[in-house]
Amino acid sequence: MKQNRISFGNPVLFVEEQFMSADYFKTIIVPMLQGAETTILLFLIAIAVSIPLGFLLTLAVRSKFKPLSLLCQGYIHLMRGTPLLLQLLFICFGLPLIPGIGQYLVLDRFVAAALGFTLNYAAYFAEIFRGGLLAIDKGQYEASKVLGLSRWQTTRKIILPQMFRIALPAVANESVTLVKDTALLYAVAVPELLHFAETAVNRDFTIMPFFYAGVIYLIITFVLSMFFRWLERRFKFE
Amino acid sequence: MAIIEVSNLKKSYGNLDVLKQITFEVNKKDVVAVIGPSGSGKSTMLRSLVHLEEIDGGSIRVADDYLVKDGVYSKPQDLKKITSRMGMVFQHFNLFPHLTVTENLEVAPRMLKRESPVAIRHRSTELLKKIGLTNRADAYPANLSGGQKQRVAIARALMLNPEILLFDEPTSALDPELTGEVLKVMKDLAEEHMTMVIVTHEMGFAKDVANRVLFMDNGQIIESGHPDDLLTNPQHDRTRAFLNRSFN
Ligand SMILES: Nc1ncnc2c1ncn2[C@@H]1O[C@H](COP(=O)(O)OP(=O)(O)OP(=O)(O)O)[C@@H](O)[C@H]1O
Ligand SMILES: [Mg+2]
Repeated sequence: MKQNRISFGNPVLFVEEQFMSADYFKTIIVPMLQGAETTILLFLIAIAVSIPLGFLLTLAVRSKFKPLSLLCQGYIHLMRGTPLLLQLLFICFGLPLIPGIGQYLVLDRFVAAALGFTLNYAAYFAEIFRGGLLAIDKGQYEASKVLGLSRWQTTRKIILPQMFRIALPAVANESVTLVKDTALLYAVAVPELLHFAETAVNRDFTIMPFFYAGVIYLIITFVLSMFFRWLERRFKFE
Repeated sequence: MAIIEVSNLKKSYGNLDVLKQITFEVNKKDVVAVIGPSGSGKSTMLRSLVHLEEIDGGSIRVADDYLVKDGVYSKPQDLKKITSRMGMVFQHFNLFPHLTVTENLEVAPRMLKRESPVAIRHRSTELLKKIGLTNRADAYPANLSGGQKQRVAIARALMLNPEILLFDEPTSALDPELTGEVLKVMKDLAEEHMTMVIVTHEMGFAKDVANRVLFMDNGQIIESGHPDDLLTNPQHDRTRAFLNRSFN
């Protein structure tokens, strides 16, 4: 393999004809799509669990039972106040080091990472939902009460639908961030999209895999954005 | 017997006495207009009747039951039954923005399950016809004008067949050209002998439709009487001063 190497002191990346070819694309796209599968799987698990969990957190924070409320507020602050990367490293590599019980806390890397993402994002979604609740006019509660609805009926039929609607744009935004944050799997050595791209870049001395990875991320976030646009239109209430 | 009897009602926020020993009655078929300067306690008085405010002393009787007697509220399970005799219309409509006009009307009766869905639909159709919004049945509140929203709010209150309707400045949030359509609906209700208590700044409407006017100032009812007397020939200086300002 003949290569022109121009070094700028850093790993050399060089675009050559052969790496632009359809053949090269075919050999590299398969592992990258496998990586993307991991990325998407993690995203789906994290989003499917953290949204309901975040919602429960919101309710717990509003609970009249003070210890529960304070505990959940503390949890939310902890999760939002420390880097997600630190939390992932802690779950993957920190937990097993705890004397005595550490040996039982060695989780599968992917499971550990999914746990970390879920716990972290639940805190963000809880804050988003709390904001949604705060945005609801107290006249909605008063009208419901005068119409004879119970607290629970009011919450279920009047307040929650409005809360989810108000929260939707922020949830969309957070979901796109989650897609991109899955790249943090790289740090705990779970092979995902970015990992395969980087491996190929280092092995083949070509920058193309980074482009492919970028395009795949773009496609995922585009589809996701379209989905949320559709939801927003569907629940526009106009 | 009066359908609402309020005696010595007291309410304070901290050391601000908002309502000081309010006493009045509302008879069946009465249309009572409540007027008075801003901050005089009109809203607080009205909201106390439907238990949106907790009072500190006095009694409120509605039909045969005491909501509060000498400062002591009825059992929680009875409160709802007592206040359900009254419907309320708010200044800012408080329609449910995520529900269509029809759904706004039907949500409470459907949840309360006192009538069949067919009967509920029958009523909502009738009421929409009555307020002239049949063609907006599937619209969301966001797509209605202020006047239309307030008419829907009135219909929503009527869905539960209240014996008494309370209005807190129902036209104050509306553009002047939209107040007429709301006042028209209220006037129709008065002609059907609905019992109503209306906090309002619309002196013309009060004179036209009410059979009694209460003037409130500083947490007290200063005077009350037939609109022809009270509005044209007030007995108290404060009433006179207020009316002079209102009519400019
Ligand atoms: N939640 C509250 N906390 C403290 N003070 C309050 C509260 N609600 C009302 N007040 C005070 O109570 C007094 C009476 O208020 P209220 O709203 O009943 O007056 P109003 O006659 O309806 O006035 P307006 O014509 O402006 O609607 C006012 O001085 C007001 O500032
Ligand atoms: Mg008021």
